[in-house]
Amino acid sequence: MNAGPIYTVEGVTKVYRTGEVEVRALRGVDIEIGAGEFIVLLGPSGSGKSTLVNILGGLDTATEGKVFFRDEEITGFGDRELTKYRRDHVGFVFQFYNLVPSLTARENVSLVTEIARDPMDPGEALEIAGLPRDRHDHFPAQLSGGEQQRVAIGRAIAKKPEVLLCDEPTGALDSKTGIRVLEALAQVNRDLGTTVLVITHNMAVGRMADRVIHFADGTVARIEENEKREAPASIAW
Amino acid sequence: MGVLDRKLMRDLVRLWAQVAAIALVMAAGVMTLVLAVGAQRSLFETREAYYERNAFADIFATATRAPERLADDIAAIPGIASVETRIRENAVLDIEDMLEPASGMLVSVPDDGQQVLNQLSMRLGRLPSPGHPAEIVVNEPFANAHGFEPGDTLSAIINGRKRALTIVGVALSPEFIYVVPDLMPDDRRLGVVWMSQTALAAAFDLDGAFNAVSVKLLRGQPPEPVIDEIDRLLEPFGGRGAHDRDDQQSHAFLDAELTQLQAMSYVLPPIFLLVAGFLVNMILSRLIALEREQIGLMKAVGYTGAGVAWHYMKLVIVIALIGVAIGIAAGTYLGRGLTRLYGDFFHFPFLIFRLSLDVYVIAITVSVAAATLGALRSVRAAAALPPAVAMRPPAPARYRRLFGGGLPFISLLPQTTVMIGRNIVRRPLRSLFTSVGIALSVAVLVGSLFSLDAVEEMIDITFFSAERQHATISFVHKLPADALYEVERLPGVMAAEPARMVAARFRNGHLERRLSITGKPAGSNLSRLLDVDRQEVTMPREGVVLTTALADILEIGRGETIEIELMEEHRETVQLPVSAIVESYIGLGAFMEIEALNRLMREGPSISAVHVTTDASQIAALYEAVKNLPMVGSITLQRASVAKFRETMAENLTMMVTIYVALAGIIAFGVVYNGARIQLSEQGRELASLRVLGFTRGEVSWILLGEFAILTVAALPLGWLLGYGMAYSTAEGLATEMFRLPLVIERSTYAWASVVVLVASALSALIVRRRIDRLDLIEVLKTRE
Repeated sequence: MNAGPIYTVEGVTKVYRTGEVEVRALRGVDIEIGAGEFIVLLGPSGSGKSTLVNILGGLDTATEGKVFFRDEEITGFGDRELTKYRRDHVGFVFQFYNLVPSLTARENVSLVTEIARDPMDPGEALEIAGLPRDRHDHFPAQLSGGEQQRVAIGRAIAKKPEVLLCDEPTGALDSKTGIRVLEALAQVNRDLGTTVLVITHNMAVGRMADRVIHFADGTVARIEENEKREAPASIAW
Repeated sequence: MGVLDRKLMRDLVRLWAQVAAIALVMAAGVMTLVLAVGAQRSLFETREAYYERNAFADIFATATRAPERLADDIAAIPGIASVETRIRENAVLDIEDMLEPASGMLVSVPDDGQQVLNQLSMRLGRLPSPGHPAEIVVNEPFANAHGFEPGDTLSAIINGRKRALTIVGVALSPEFIYVVPDLMPDDRRLGVVWMSQTALAAAFDLDGAFNAVSVKLLRGQPPEPVIDEIDRLLEPFGGRGAHDRDDQQSHAFLDAELTQLQAMSYVLPPIFLLVAGFLVNMILSRLIALEREQIGLMKAVGYTGAGVAWHYMKLVIVIALIGVAIGIAAGTYLGRGLTRLYGDFFHFPFLIFRLSLDVYVIAITVSVAAATLGALRSVRAAAALPPAVAMRPPAPARYRRLFGGGLPFISLLPQTTVMIGRNIVRRPLRSLFTSVGIALSVAVLVGSLFSLDAVEEMIDITFFSAERQHATISFVHKLPADALYEVERLPGVMAAEPARMVAARFRNGHLERRLSITGKPAGSNLSRLLDVDRQEVTMPREGVVLTTALADILEIGRGETIEIELMEEHRETVQLPVSAIVESYIGLGAFMEIEALNRLMREGPSISAVHVTTDASQIAALYEAVKNLPMVGSITLQRASVAKFRETMAENLTMMVTIYVALAGIIAFGVVYNGARIQLSEQGRELASLRVLGFTRGEVSWILLGEFAILTVAALPLGWLLGYGMAYSTAEGLATEMFRLPLVIERSTYAWASVVVLVASALSALIVRRRIDRLDLIEVLKTRE
């Protein structure tokens, strides 16, 4: 499973300046993430986990340090290269789904497959994500929160990305729906070999991961390795 | 200042770009209103005051030779305040600095200098003194064109005799505010020359007689009965029919200008206010949607619905007042400039600027009303929003599949295009108004710039298709047809054709017009008749040919019979069939075959003018010959005048085009910029999400700006159509008996209008595009709308 690191993070710091206030979101983070790993990032708000994921996903840049995606240093990329990197390699799942309201479920997926290099069929992606076939032609406003999140997952995996970055994917959902979303993520990781990083506040979710990275005050506090990954269904919160 | 007012000020500052765009559209409307009404009133007041101070006459009449005692009979007509008899003739002027001959309009002034009517405003020097027949006063524009001052001299062929004249004064007259030599204005080529009555009477054998009379009416006296009575009195003396100010060239031309200004104040401001109202509606409904929670909070802490509504209304009123302030300032400034420009063009001795307070009040009222109406719907919704509902996020937008998903090709379209389509369809009214707004800016351009096409067409038809002669030599009196050969023999004359003019009165039932019948030879090649399709009409041997404008006035058609009262020689009244209708954009016209006209007058072959084409290389010799030909009463140089007119047009062109392009640009910019900003506010989160998913800036921009590209392109044909309608009503509104604009719009005008609007839209899109480029990708992941 661990066929070399997909991400290598070396001494990354991130400083935000808003007016006169300086916030050090990351203070020298060093980690490696292996291809095909299922990683859960845990930590209180403001501990830096989202900042790291944003930098890994090419949405934000590091103030200091280097991030390598395989052998490429993405910390040196400009906007155009970052856009291409996101387009070709990264799938995102957001807390609030961020679907296009004017497109149906299937069309939201097609939106991404149209610009991807070797995408899967949008219907297939939605089925892997667990959206029933009879819901494929519904608009987001006609779907429940869990269904919308599954569309978002379908949209994220349809281009067969190497990495799936999920920021609080279950944050807006009840536990039953949340578990079904986590099952979908686990299935993608297992069947497609996609590296998955999940940010969460929920300690229990950590039990389904290969590794759990704990964040505190902008640094990696500790890394937990699970002997055995539990099935999402057995996780309760 | 209350806290809410402070919020209002900050909202204004935050939304400054959109506020400015709306305020500018309003300002454009207010500006055109203030400008047009201000200039119109100033000119009108100036003209009225000028007429009043200089006792401009109400009725004018000419005769061949009427005894001076007739003046008492005319004065005795009930309703007449004062009468002045005069001598009016034409002359050829020979001026040292000018190769070509100029035309002179000779007008007598009483020997004692006591003018009763049409008094001169002396600008330099004095009136001619009694006993000095060679002393003259000339009109100021003519003097300026030649640099004449008192003491300068010029020669004139007066009734066949060459005379040296000395300028003793330069003057302006209410009678000659605007004078044109050959249908086209040229101050160099037309001089008004005032001479003493005795001198002119001696030159034209009119001792104890007059050939022109002006009459001032008592206040409230209708002109018609007086005109009839004057006609009756002058008839035995060759009276050619009296007319009121409406048929006086200078007055009628000024009237046309005033009408044009008035039309501008009716047409343009409503367009701008309509667009501004729509923009206010758009921006306010978005602002209120964004501030839903704040509205809920305001209500929760005890503000009333009316209080909330008033808060937003104030924002709108402030925007309107900003627009009004800019508009009034610009309109007043430009209005003065325009009045001064008119003043220079028309040569008034003074200018009266009218600050029209009522227009300012109207401007403020209609602007605030337009803005308020535009805001009404969203403000009412805000007032009605229950606080608990307001604090919850709004219901998600509902989208429909285009055409119910029934069209298979839609599934083949890229999803970004589907997004654009669904956004347009989801808010059909907003999309429609956006397109209509853009279309109006196209229409403003087409509807105003068409006049350039129309004038060009008018010149082309009149001077290059119909009246193809280079010059027309008119004789003092009618001459035997042999005179044609004399003209043909002049140096530089390449071709010559005779013409005969007879004053007449045309009647169909109660409808009546006074004008000359022009006799032309059948198959004439220089002065031709054209039908409405610009095809040449062969002069019929029988009957009379009328221009469309005359036929319309007399409500008569081809094949019908018209009554013509000949006002020269035997003064017979005859019935003639209308044998053809021809097109002409300048004046009214009636034509007959020249021999038929001579037969009608029971005369042998006679001519009163000759049309010629000239050889440019011998033009100096020709001019020299004409200046010394006693039989010549006047000469018109059509080609020279057209060239001069084009020159003047070109000078004004840049300014006119700049103003209309700016006005249209403001509309297009205002509509597209505001629309795109609001769309960005609504779709910003969506677009940022797409950027996260790997869409490039260009791809994301297209989703938003593509919608406006489609709405703009869709607006073009509508704009052309609306512009055609505006051009049509402009042409109709400006049509007078003196001249009409042909409704001609060149393709290039449509094209230019479209280009201007496309560029303005593209510019506003580019500005919004910069904001799309700066979308915050991280923020979007953390928040929900």
